[in-house]
Amino acid sequence: MGLFILRRVVVMLLTALCLTFIVFFLTNLYPNLEKLAKTQGNMRMTDEQVATWLGERGYDRNLFVKYGEWLGVLPGYVVEAEDGTVRGRCIDAGMTPEEAPRFCGVLQGDWGYSTVFREPAGEIVFKRLGLTGWLMLAVMCVMVPGALIIGVLAGMREGSKLDRSLSTASIMTTATPEYVSGVIFIAVFASSAVGLKWFKGTATSAMDNITWENFTLPVLTIALYGMGYIARMTRASMAEVMTAQYIRTARLKGVKFRTIVLKHALRNALIAPFTVIMLQFPWLLNGVVIVETLFNYKGFGWTLVEAAGNNDIELLLGVSVVSVFVVLVTQLISDIGYVYLNPRIRVT
Amino acid sequence: MTKDTGDGRIHPAAEMYADEYRAGLIDRREFLARATSMGVGAAAAYGLIGLNAPARAAEHMQQGGTLRIQQSVKGMKDPRAYDWSEIGNQSRGFLEYLVEYNSDGSFRPMLLDSWEVNDDATQYILNVRQGVTWNNGDAFTAEDVARNIAGWCDKNMADNSMASRMGGLIDQDTGQAREGAIEVTDEHTVVLNLSAPDVSVIANMSDYPAAIVHSSYEGGSPFDNGIGTGPFRPVSMEVGINCILERNTDHEWWGTEIYGGPYVDRIEFIDYGTDPSAWVAAAESEEVDLLYETVGDFIDVMDAIGWTKTETVTAATIVFRGNQEAEVGGMKPYSDVRVRRALAMAVDNAVLLELGYSDRGRVAANHHVCPIHPAYADIGPAAFDPDGAVALLEEAEMADFEHELITVDDDWQRNTGDALAAQLRDAGIPVQRTILPGNTFWNKWTEYPLSATQWNHRPLEVQVLTLAYRSGEAWNEAAYANPDFDALINRANAIADADARSEVIAEVEQLLRDDGVIIQPYWRSLYNHHNGNVVNGEKHPAHEIHLYKIGFAA
Repeated sequence: MGLFILRRVVVMLLTALCLTFIVFFLTNLYPNLEKLAKTQGNMRMTDEQVATWLGERGYDRNLFVKYGEWLGVLPGYVVEAEDGTVRGRCIDAGMTPEEAPRFCGVLQGDWGYSTVFREPAGEIVFKRLGLTGWLMLAVMCVMVPGALIIGVLAGMREGSKLDRSLSTASIMTTATPEYVSGVIFIAVFASSAVGLKWFKGTATSAMDNITWENFTLPVLTIALYGMGYIARMTRASMAEVMTAQYIRTARLKGVKFRTIVLKHALRNALIAPFTVIMLQFPWLLNGVVIVETLFNYKGFGWTLVEAAGNNDIELLLGVSVVSVFVVLVTQLISDIGYVYLNPRIRVT
Repeated sequence: MTKDTGDGRIHPAAEMYADEYRAGLIDRREFLARATSMGVGAAAAYGLIGLNAPARAAEHMQQGGTLRIQQSVKGMKDPRAYDWSEIGNQSRGFLEYLVEYNSDGSFRPMLLDSWEVNDDATQYILNVRQGVTWNNGDAFTAEDVARNIAGWCDKNMADNSMASRMGGLIDQDTGQAREGAIEVTDEHTVVLNLSAPDVSVIANMSDYPAAIVHSSYEGGSPFDNGIGTGPFRPVSMEVGINCILERNTDHEWWGTEIYGGPYVDRIEFIDYGTDPSAWVAAAESEEVDLLYETVGDFIDVMDAIGWTKTETVTAATIVFRGNQEAEVGGMKPYSDVRVRRALAMAVDNAVLLELGYSDRGRVAANHHVCPIHPAYADIGPAAFDPDGAVALLEEAEMADFEHELITVDDDWQRNTGDALAAQLRDAGIPVQRTILPGNTFWNKWTEYPLSATQWNHRPLEVQVLTLAYRSGEAWNEAAYANPDFDALINRANAIADADARSEVIAEVEQLLRDDGVIIQPYWRSLYNHHNGNVVNGEKHPAHEIHLYKIGFAA
């Protein structure tokens, strides 16, 4: 087991390294740097001004050197501008060039500086990740139990009326994209157009203070979309288990149907949905982009969009590392969880 | 309401304008803009035409409360590099201006007490307001004014947008303020000696990059420095999220006894993104009190949910232009005046106003001078002749050329672009539409071969004409370089008297139209909405939000 986890961690590091290098390469293409210069300096800068701006901030050097600096294996650059001001990667505001450390990369715990938000990239990523975390938690609390109950109810008597109606409902919610269901929810439950006004059509205030009113609609929008999918998987798995020999034996023995479902079938039926549920984490992390934008909840997905839209190099790298970490850790948990659910599987 | 100019001398031109107003030659708004830019206080200006200055609704306002404004929150930078009105609003609570432009077209002294202009607009005497202090306790003096003006003149700062407006004070060789251009004659007087007449100095001092900063400010975000003369203090701001100011109770603001206010205790600018439907959702959820601006069909939507609409007529507009230097497939399609004129002739501006902006404005005439500008000259409507347009294109051998019209993905600009493209197609001119998202569009906005740009309102016509069409100017997106135009606009900039100037402006207007530089279909009225409790939250033609004036209804 220890070896298995170790191997996974190494894979995680390698993946993060490759991915960040790809992101680094793409964001350092010249047109992207030009865009960065113009959004940071002035939208109406000339080509020469752009070149000077990039030069003074060390953007015009070798890609591998810059990547090494970001990692913290090469010393940060120091550039003196024409007007005599000295700028350096490791020289923060209010620091003289002599005081600054030589290395300041990820290895030293410095995630760099976000050019869009003008704050350290690490702080932003974790703050926004925290906000998305609350959203994910709420969604999971609604989605997982809901989906499992629907799936088990539908799967325990395949072909019954209950199965047909629950399956239809699950297919409908999964087939409705979030940007459709979200808009419908806002129109029905939050606007004067229908007049119900039960909830708020925006989750901006939920960033400071989560209430029933401002958090219900975004959570519901995401949860319903994922719920149908998990419910379908659970149903299929449940239906299969219910046709197994040992269930028939149990029924012939006269065990109560309720006991059969809860004690004998459920655990076996949960193996497949468990993987799907764990796969929802990476999806939630980046898939909430639409819902976060629609409801103006400034979480991780929103940060990703802002960082990509403004070519914010170091913030994008931070976002990538966190994404890789979350994806691989949830998959690790899902592999380990498997062992406990199904003793026939061994992790070696 | 405001004090008259210091010594009671009224500029002769202002009296002349008053005669013209009485004769019905100019309207009230135009009179106010002209007279106040000559140094006549607003109250005195109203007095000249026998009216009382409008009283503000202070008695109906309650003290206190938190004002929540929906507005994009953008990254702060050195005020001279401000490139969005929003940034100006974010710092306006603590960084004040020498002069304030008001929506009735008048200029009102803020950190200046008054100013005098000599008769050919080459010398400005600025009388600095007495009794003003910075919120760290320092006294505000003429030195502060001179230092800030000198800073505006710094051409070596790459993104200083004030430098191009202070041309008369700058030594072209050093790129700094000319020796003797800015004189501090006593503790409360600054004299500006211009190398060439310039009528727009006062108007430029009211524009959003002209915020007055303290001597300890050394660039970067003014929020980090936090020292200003205004009645609020910065609390926090996060780009794209919110920007919070609160009333500075440790600081005695000079304006309280002169203009009244501030009324609210706390101001929150909250960013709801660029999609207006999110603003509606925020309004319906009662999370904001005031919208920054309401656009397009959302004006009706906001009316329908019961919010109060305010409107201001402005010289804000959309301009379609071919970039005369841009290359498409190895040639420069818009370097040929026949092509440019043909495109303009194929378009009926009234249709663009109707389809693109739902008739919420006035039809314009392809020359970027608005009837509310002081020196407007009426040269008649723009020609509409689709057949003539096709004939011109055939003559230029460009009839088969497929134009690519680029606009930003923004409700009304996109719609206007679509309407224009449809009209070109109706005339038989092939055109393809490209719509770019905002963050991509603005990266190269001056370079697109054929695109639309929104232009904000500016108080004087010479300001925008100089900025957008003089050869070599940074914002000359049409790459228009015509020595005749440059000569005319430089002449116009030297005529303080708006009436005399309007003769030159008439030539400028005709020249812009003959050269087919732009298709400028309409002037926009601007709107915003508030929840009905906000007093003095009216939309401002230059998108300014004068925070100290706003309060909640009692």
